[in-house]
Amino acid sequence: MNAIIALSLFGITNLFLGFLNNRKILLPATLLFVLIAFGLNLADWNHEYYWFHNMLKTNNLSINFTSIILVATALVVAISRGFGNDEEHTHPAEYYGILLFSVVGAIMMVTFQSLFMLFVGIEILSVAMYVLTGSDKRNLRSNEAALKYFLMGSFATGIMLFGIALVYGATGSFDINGIGNMVNQAKLQDIMLNPYGPILYGGIILIFVGLLFKISAAPFHFWTPDVYDGAPSIFTAFMSTVVKTAGVAATYRLLSISFPAVYGLWGNPLVYITCLTLFIGNITAVYQQSFKRMLAYSSISHAGYLLITVLAKTPTTNSSILFYSLAYSIATISAFAVLMVVSEAQSKSGKPDESFTALNGLATNNPFLAFVLTVSMLSLAGIPLTAGFFGKFFIFADAFSNVSSLFKTIAVVAILMSTVGIYYYFKPIIAAYLKKGDLEKIELSPIYKLTLIITTALTILLGIAPDLVKNIF
Amino acid sequence: MNYQPSDYLPIIVQIGAALAFIVLTMVATHWLGPKRHSKAKDDVFECGIESVGNARTPISVKYFLVAILFVLFDVEIIFMYPWAVNFKTLGWDGFLEMIVFMSLLLAGFIYVLKKGVLDWEK
Amino acid sequence: MSLAVLIPLFPLIGFLINGLGFRRVPKSLVGVIGSAAALASFACALSLFLNFSGQPEVVHIFDWITIGDFNISMSFQIDQLSLLMLLIITGVGSLIHIYSIGYMHHDEGFGKFFAFLNLFLFFMLLLVLGSNYVVMFIGWEGVGLCSYLLIGFWNKNTNYGNAARKAFIMNRIGDLGFLLGIFLIITHFGTVEYADVFSKVAEGGYESGDKTLMYITLLLFVGAMGKSAQIPLYTWLPDAMAGPTPVSALIHAATMVTAGIYMIIRSNVLYSLSPETLEVIGWVGTATALLAASIGLLQNDIKKVLAYSTVSQLGYMFMGLGVMAYSSSFFHVMTHAFFKALLFLGAGSVIHAMSDEQDIRSMGGLRKKLPITFITFLIATIAISGIPPFAGFFSKDEILAHVYEHNKLMWVLALAGSMMTSFYMFRLLFLTFFGEFRGTHEQEHHLHESPIAMTAPLMILAVLSAVGGFFNLPHIFGGHASLATFMEPLFAQSHIEAHAPNESTEKMLMIVSVIAALVSAAVAYVMYVSKKAVPEADGTETGLQKVVYNKYYIDELYDTVFVKPITALSNIFYSFVEFLVIDLIVEGIGKLVKGISGEARLVQNGTTGYYIFAMVISIAVMLIWGLRIFILG
Repeated sequence: MNAIIALSLFGITNLFLGFLNNRKILLPATLLFVLIAFGLNLADWNHEYYWFHNMLKTNNLSINFTSIILVATALVVAISRGFGNDEEHTHPAEYYGILLFSVVGAIMMVTFQSLFMLFVGIEILSVAMYVLTGSDKRNLRSNEAALKYFLMGSFATGIMLFGIALVYGATGSFDINGIGNMVNQAKLQDIMLNPYGPILYGGIILIFVGLLFKISAAPFHFWTPDVYDGAPSIFTAFMSTVVKTAGVAATYRLLSISFPAVYGLWGNPLVYITCLTLFIGNITAVYQQSFKRMLAYSSISHAGYLLITVLAKTPTTNSSILFYSLAYSIATISAFAVLMVVSEAQSKSGKPDESFTALNGLATNNPFLAFVLTVSMLSLAGIPLTAGFFGKFFIFADAFSNVSSLFKTIAVVAILMSTVGIYYYFKPIIAAYLKKGDLEKIELSPIYKLTLIITTALTILLGIAPDLVKNIF
Repeated sequence: MNYQPSDYLPIIVQIGAALAFIVLTMVATHWLGPKRHSKAKDDVFECGIESVGNARTPISVKYFLVAILFVLFDVEIIFMYPWAVNFKTLGWDGFLEMIVFMSLLLAGFIYVLKKGVLDWEK
Repeated sequence: MSLAVLIPLFPLIGFLINGLGFRRVPKSLVGVIGSAAALASFACALSLFLNFSGQPEVVHIFDWITIGDFNISMSFQIDQLSLLMLLIITGVGSLIHIYSIGYMHHDEGFGKFFAFLNLFLFFMLLLVLGSNYVVMFIGWEGVGLCSYLLIGFWNKNTNYGNAARKAFIMNRIGDLGFLLGIFLIITHFGTVEYADVFSKVAEGGYESGDKTLMYITLLLFVGAMGKSAQIPLYTWLPDAMAGPTPVSALIHAATMVTAGIYMIIRSNVLYSLSPETLEVIGWVGTATALLAASIGLLQNDIKKVLAYSTVSQLGYMFMGLGVMAYSSSFFHVMTHAFFKALLFLGAGSVIHAMSDEQDIRSMGGLRKKLPITFITFLIATIAISGIPPFAGFFSKDEILAHVYEHNKLMWVLALAGSMMTSFYMFRLLFLTFFGEFRGTHEQEHHLHESPIAMTAPLMILAVLSAVGGFFNLPHIFGGHASLATFMEPLFAQSHIEAHAPNESTEKMLMIVSVIAALVSAAVAYVMYVSKKAVPEADGTETGLQKVVYNKYYIDELYDTVFVKPITALSNIFYSFVEFLVIDLIVEGIGKLVKGISGEARLVQNGTTGYYIFAMVISIAVMLIWGLRIFILG
């Protein structure tokens, strides 16, 4: 877990780099830090290590999740453009530093062995995100979003902490394997037979409320549209990729290690939550006029897809989650990258225009951006020859391979909902290619362009040869 | 040791007693105490100079900043106490860990200084 | 990494450089890069061939898709068949690339042309290298795409564009069959790897005439019909001559159109167990050979004649496949690649000299002006007519001998076809190179022999057309049938009964067919050299001549039978079904979803207290639901 230590130190280093007069050094430095952490992370490949007195545990699965998180972070850093040229009101060194700190939290969420670490990780990640959400201090919506996020986030973490306490009460352990053993032995499946049953049930539900809040599953998704919409786009991109991946990884880790024996307790509630999430995410996205807000709802719906395979717990679930997270992350970052430059170029009276109409006529003068946007939208919609298609395909395959007929129903719901998804994912493409607009050519910095090329190429590559990475997972 | 939920009963009794005592005393004082209102008595400050303006005036954010920083560093001190108590048993490992902890704290302090947070005039 | 990976890689790199750098890479470099890519592949293929151990080898590159137990891998198979195809494709391909440097020099799409040509090579190599049907299908589709792009290369001409579309659509019909065949293989055998499928067939105790195998083979043959231009899907190939001549030589004569034959030889294990399919293939081949040859008799466009000749020769190859003479068919694929590429390139050289004139009625007497083109064209003509000792004689007679053993009527028809072949080829030769020049003065003034980049490939191909037959010299001439022996392991699993004709019959057949060819040539000589007959202008033909000249009105027939009814039907669907049913349902669902969305969005009202309240309610519901037994008792 040297990546955690390294990233913490790098975060501090970043804070001090801010005292240098040269702001340009921050982006490459942060990128370098993330890549170093990536290397350190891979160093533990094929080993199972316990860290910090059995508080964290790394194995190949957690390393894969960490890798995806770090890749997403690197891409987000690469498109951050040093947080603009506003000398007075932006604090790039702090933003980069906080970003690195939050990644530490995210990594703790995917490697936790003790519920303490889950809690600490979530808190590190969340507090960092509260700050970054409100970083656009002069924008009222950003402030509102930060406060909302903070209030609801602390509410959710409080609930989760209560859940952890209840689980401890029922099992006497914070260690996830220890909990798993206790749950196995104590025959807690039947609430009536064991006095600890209700406590355990309450604990599990409350912990998952906290986690589901983080991955914005309905009905705990209410913060998502408002916060995603209000936060600066670059941090929205970070939230919808890194935070989501970490949240799903944590949920999966906890479910698959601690509570598989009591599937009967939490299976049904989570199945309904999944269906509700898919429904709300996709249906509500249809009506949105703002591209950014649409992406927020889309991120809710993707949480739903991810939950399917988490619940289906087939032997291929590991690789399906990883593949989906990766495909979703790179496509989302592409989309936000295009949104950022376009909305700034279209800004009206200083405020970036984030509606679909801002994309009108994008293809005329910016064919490259339009192409990137198209590929990412197709991938999010799950059209073949993009990574997103195989992501969805693997997940639906998992659902169908589960013996329970309930999962076939979910898969059908999910497929129906993904057809609804096509409707709103094609809106930006239509705007870019078919509508008329007077957008001038947008100049992109080399690193920005390179990032877009990488994400787009990766999306297509994984759509053609998914086994390239699926074999690693 | 295997606790049953019923073993926690004393705690509930304790909580109940504590709450009941507070509620009881508050209600009792309201009932029992004599009430005499006058303008001077209802004033914000019963003695001294007369108050001017609204109490909810905006205060410079620097106050809050300093207050938060104070709380932050003050709380960190709490970690020192258990360490000091167990100084010998923790040995060199504990010492090194505390040095790491303190240097991180120091780094934060230097950062705060360099940011000019404590520079009141700025 | 094996050399096999490099073979398709070179053309791909060439494509990327020329394609991405179109208009940026200097013109002088474009041709060099394109040709170097082809030559490098040829060198790799040659080295693989020379070091070949005799054992098939599968080079696994990566797993492409894995779904449960079903795995499709991107892997290459190196065996006798793929090696020979590789040599033909890269060898002839290299020559044609070099030729194109000269031929396309003045074209403004020079870079684009080479990029497409390299892309074609890439897909073609993928097609023959793949070790399973899916990789073959990728290559299959890819070459179809390149064929489309190159037929319509001069895309400013609407007719050319239509020809390209026709080729694409006709091929798609065939591809559908091929794809269904692959699906059937997947459901039946659970794998698409050649080795697995064939060993399952060989060990599975399938009887000859097994129904499943028959369906599979018939469906695959539909694919072959499209790609290799057999009745009824042949009409695209003559139209495909709209593309630049090197394209016609490479794609529509030497390589792509033989993909169908490659596929059937590859699947010989399946075909050998389906006599019905073989019978169908044999008769379709015969019919195609005859029909196309008869149309070729009266065509006046130099490339159209060659196109019909190609269709007819492909018919011969299928005829050979139909009687299980797999190696003979392949032998013909090889010799045909040599002489037909040569003929097309020679035609290209003529067209180049004639300033893009393609009508043989305006040519004549070119042998003095274009000596090299003339001699090489002559060699190719002799070769295709089946006159010994040139390449075509050996390969065609081998097929005819097997056909004779199988079915006498088929042999008679095939002989008639080969007489026609000889006639129309010599007609073409005489009209083009003998007699007086019939073109305009300006064209006469321009006449010149082509540059060395164009004549060198002609000469190499001429040598190959002359001696190509000796690669598989039959036993009766003291040869060892080396090609057949080399290819033998390919057919080990399909138990072909050896029914080679005895020696005296074989000799008799050869003599008959040689005499037939010579007689036809003589007739052509009398008609077009001695009597100096020149075909009449368009629209003056009568009777049967007119029918043949208009290609039996097949295109018109297809138009009336398929295109017009479908257009009419689609109009009906558009005006009624679309309006009443589709719109109502589709838009209804759309409106419904939008309506729900409009309502659902109001839930998101922006109040934090309300959000938290909703969360609390949800938590409470979950807890109460889970603990209902506990609470309710």
